[in-house]
Amino acid sequence: MSRGVEVNLDNVWIRFGDFVAVREANVSIKGGEFFSFLGPSGCGKTTILRAVSGFLEPSEGTVKIGGRDMAGIGPNKRPTALIFQNLALFPLMKVWENITFSLEVQGFSKVDRRKRADELLEMIALPDQGDKLPSELSGGQKQRVAIARALCAEPDVLLLDEPLSALDLKLRQHMRTELREIQQRVGITFIYITHDQGEALTMSDNVAVMRAGVIDQIADGQTVYDDPATPFVASFVGENNVFRGTVKSIDGEFAIVDTNRSGELAARIATSAKSNLKVGDAAMMFVRPEACNIAPDDAPGKNRLTAMVKHEEFEGQIYNVFLEGSEGKEIKMSLVNIGQNRQSAEGKDLTLEYAPEHAVVLPAGELASE
Amino acid sequence: MRSEGYLLKIFLVVYLLVFFGYLLGPLIVMSITAFNSPSFPKMTPWECLTFEWFDVLANDTRILNGIKNSLIIGVGTVILSVILGLAGALMLTQIWPKMRATYYTIVIAPILIPGVVLGISTLVFWDRINVMLGFETDSFLNNGIFLTILGQSTFIASYCMLVFIARLQRFDTGLTEAALDLGATNVQAFRKILLPFMKPAIGSAAVLAFLASFENYNTTTFTFGKFPTLTIELAQKVRYGINPSISSLAFIIIVLTVIGALAHEIYIRRQQLALANGAPVKAVANGFKLPRIFQGNPAAIILVLLALGGFSTIWFAQVYSPQECILDVREQKRILQQQKIDEIRQQRLQQQQQKKLQGPDIFGSDKKAPSGSGSAPQSPGKGAFGDIFAPKNLEKTAPDSQQDSKPKNPGKGAFGDIFAPKNLDKTGPQENTTD
Amino acid sequence: MSAVQILRNFFEKNGIGLGTFLLVAVFIWVVILIILPQLSMLDFSFRHHLPPPEMGGPKDTYTIEHYKYLVLGAPGADTSYNVVDLGVFGRTLIAAVFVTILDLILCYPLAYYLGQSKGGGFIRVLVLLLIIPYWINEILRAFAFRIIFGDSGLINEVLLTFGLINDPIDFIRANVALYAGLGYAYILLMIFPIYNVIESLDRNQIEAARDMGAPWWRIHWRVVIPYAKPGISSGCTMVFMLSAGALAAPQILGGPSSLWFTQIIYQWFNQGGNWPRGAAFAIVLLLTCIIIVLSMMRLFKVKIGDIGK
Repeated sequence: MSRGVEVNLDNVWIRFGDFVAVREANVSIKGGEFFSFLGPSGCGKTTILRAVSGFLEPSEGTVKIGGRDMAGIGPNKRPTALIFQNLALFPLMKVWENITFSLEVQGFSKVDRRKRADELLEMIALPDQGDKLPSELSGGQKQRVAIARALCAEPDVLLLDEPLSALDLKLRQHMRTELREIQQRVGITFIYITHDQGEALTMSDNVAVMRAGVIDQIADGQTVYDDPATPFVASFVGENNVFRGTVKSIDGEFAIVDTNRSGELAARIATSAKSNLKVGDAAMMFVRPEACNIAPDDAPGKNRLTAMVKHEEFEGQIYNVFLEGSEGKEIKMSLVNIGQNRQSAEGKDLTLEYAPEHAVVLPAGELASE
Repeated sequence: MRSEGYLLKIFLVVYLLVFFGYLLGPLIVMSITAFNSPSFPKMTPWECLTFEWFDVLANDTRILNGIKNSLIIGVGTVILSVILGLAGALMLTQIWPKMRATYYTIVIAPILIPGVVLGISTLVFWDRINVMLGFETDSFLNNGIFLTILGQSTFIASYCMLVFIARLQRFDTGLTEAALDLGATNVQAFRKILLPFMKPAIGSAAVLAFLASFENYNTTTFTFGKFPTLTIELAQKVRYGINPSISSLAFIIIVLTVIGALAHEIYIRRQQLALANGAPVKAVANGFKLPRIFQGNPAAIILVLLALGGFSTIWFAQVYSPQECILDVREQKRILQQQKIDEIRQQRLQQQQQKKLQGPDIFGSDKKAPSGSGSAPQSPGKGAFGDIFAPKNLEKTAPDSQQDSKPKNPGKGAFGDIFAPKNLDKTGPQENTTD
Repeated sequence: MSAVQILRNFFEKNGIGLGTFLLVAVFIWVVILIILPQLSMLDFSFRHHLPPPEMGGPKDTYTIEHYKYLVLGAPGADTSYNVVDLGVFGRTLIAAVFVTILDLILCYPLAYYLGQSKGGGFIRVLVLLLIIPYWINEILRAFAFRIIFGDSGLINEVLLTFGLINDPIDFIRANVALYAGLGYAYILLMIFPIYNVIESLDRNQIEAARDMGAPWWRIHWRVVIPYAKPGISSGCTMVFMLSAGALAAPQILGGPSSLWFTQIIYQWFNQGGNWPRGAAFAIVLLLTCIIIVLSMMRLFKVKIGDIGK
């Protein structure tokens, strides 16, 4: 019963006075898709969501839902439902009244509304809680009520504005799975806003990574992680060791970067940079901590680094090893704990190696500041 | 260090005592005077416990009429100023930022403008409008109730607005957006989300407006026209002669205020309790368990004590009659006075006797003596009144009946009745002679 | 943004019905109840005192005679200035300042105590006790002071009984009753603004200052008072304005020799029957108060937005 409809942003600009909140956004979201906007706070992702839900009109460009231009259509007339960051449950209404508010404004009778509320309460596994006030529910319960309230309006598109940010870690992880399940069950389009890459990657079919009003990359989670389109995406999504330098040579899929502090290193050229990366360009090379390993010998190579271990952290499933390379270059390496009973190597020099296909070269650019 | 701490504590206690003495003392003193019998409100000397001033109050038509006018004006002012205040507060959240400071200054100004100025400007403005429109001087534009409501609402609306702003600051505009997002129209979102949220504030603004209207003097004194409010009547009374019936009114108002304040306190306390326990408010409200409510709720205890005190007072007032005491006090005063008179008399008598012995004036003064103060022996066993009035009566009625009122009945008016026996003593023989 | 666009946005946001209601209500309040009456009073104060039939006639021209009267007195008077009215005016302002200072001194410690204590039953009772007198009629409150300070009032009777004095002290003539009554009337308006601000002061700041060895007066001078400044000036502004504009208390508690300026205005309206002159005097009172308050706010760097919080 896929009722999902596609959502299209065509060349959308949103300005507040002189400030450009969203710059030339082109997004097409397929019907029934779980789509996330991922970015740090203030990057304009919530602004995009408000443009979709109708709380503000784009300064330029069009928002289409189900192929229909939404210009001039208010939020109460759009086939969207929004779950607010703070949930915005009506504090003075009972849970069931909250859930069926959309029916109330359409003039449905109390009996009908109550019936529908009970169905939805059943669905979110909160039966018999309908007569409580929102303030009497726990955080996770409120979360589910907010979802039920949005679904009760039978929207074609459900918009979620960081709805899990107020929950504690355990609950957040639990709700991720639950949200994903609900989405698959109702089959409508979900547009999800978050600054938490874990949420975006686990739940979404596709992710748009945003930076300062600009969408840097739209792709599925795996691609965003493994083949970032910009240095920002590379550094924002997951952890990465960054090596700045210039491109020394290009050999098909691979390039060798002459890094400022760590010598020459080889890496795969990111898909987005294949056509325009030239020898001599300023470049950045990214190696993920988990892509690094301890080399079996000390022989030098284009995929090897030597560094001294500053300290180690044991995190359970992994060891984090923090190293200092030449000229104080900080490097992080993560080793999977497979019961090898590691001896601490603090203070020792190590040679690291990585597979060049697991490292990425991009033209130099802005990094995520964390 | 330690002695300093003690010193500070003592200072604090003294300061609190002085402060609240200043704050509450006048009200307590005034309340007490309502039960004291002297006709000028005073606490000392204490004479008699009396409830007659409440009677006097209940029969004061001007006060009652004032209360009626105050109620009418109060209701009008509440309606008008709550509406204006609410609109003003909502507008403040929407007006574009450049105008906001100016707008706020204008709508907050009525609080700072002296009340007399508001009263005068309202009076002058509507009088001019009236003249411009060519209405009669007694048109509704010059009606005291109309003018007073407008004049009072001008600044009471500002008070209401402040209440609303305080509440609005806690409003999550996301709620309105959520309602719109769920398909509500603007009006629906306003009616179903914002208005219910504002309801407590509307209630307190209404109470505030009513009380402010009820006690307003400065503005009303220029605008009331032919409809003096209670406060105006009170001011007239206080300025031109006072009696404790005003104290009794004050007492009633104080008691009502205290009850209202305590009831409100209990209500708030109960909600807090409910929230603290994590239980729904309704559960606490339904399970009306006395001990639980009284726990840590001094207001409730005081309120119950107050109610008990009030009932017992009313019961006492029904049973108790201050008449005896008042007579007693009067009697004491009379005796005191009598003693003084007697003393003076004694002195005079002594002087006269001395003169009698001394000089030839004896007869003149002797004749005066019985007609003046020396008549007491003539009517023994009479009250003080009789003593005082009898001699004069004798002097005046006797010649009257002698000269021109012979056919008149001896017992015509009240005076005649009362003093008839004495009259008879002297007029009797004369009547006989004429017959 | 053009005005039309703003208006369109406004109606879009509120809907036609609610938007219209808001605009109409605010218009009535701001224009018809606040601005126009003040302007009309200003206009009226520049008119001659005429019997109603001549109003709007040829004699109805603008004049500054009423303002002249306030400054110079009646034409042909003995003195070159209107000593009586100006004296009353000055005395009123000084007395209002005095009452304001009195209230500030009286209220600051309590506001601080209430604001910094952690709440609890005792504090709530105190707050309740503070509020209750405020809801008693202004006239009655003044009346209470007359009972206390009158010739045969409580204080005199007590003093006489204990033989401390031989003749009753005339508190009314000495204006003691008036100051006490006025100060009393506006206590709440002083306490609550200060209390509200101090309540939001982080207790750690005081602790920190104490920790660094500051004596209590320095803590107040350097930490609490600067922080509470908006509340203090808001309270002072309200108390000053209201006591300068008070009418009931001076009428009831004022001595026979000391008039309040509002009483003169009252007399021009109700007994003298010269409305334009009363209006002129009211304008002078209003403007003077505004100027004093604005300059005070400028002096203490407080914004109007802080008033009424």
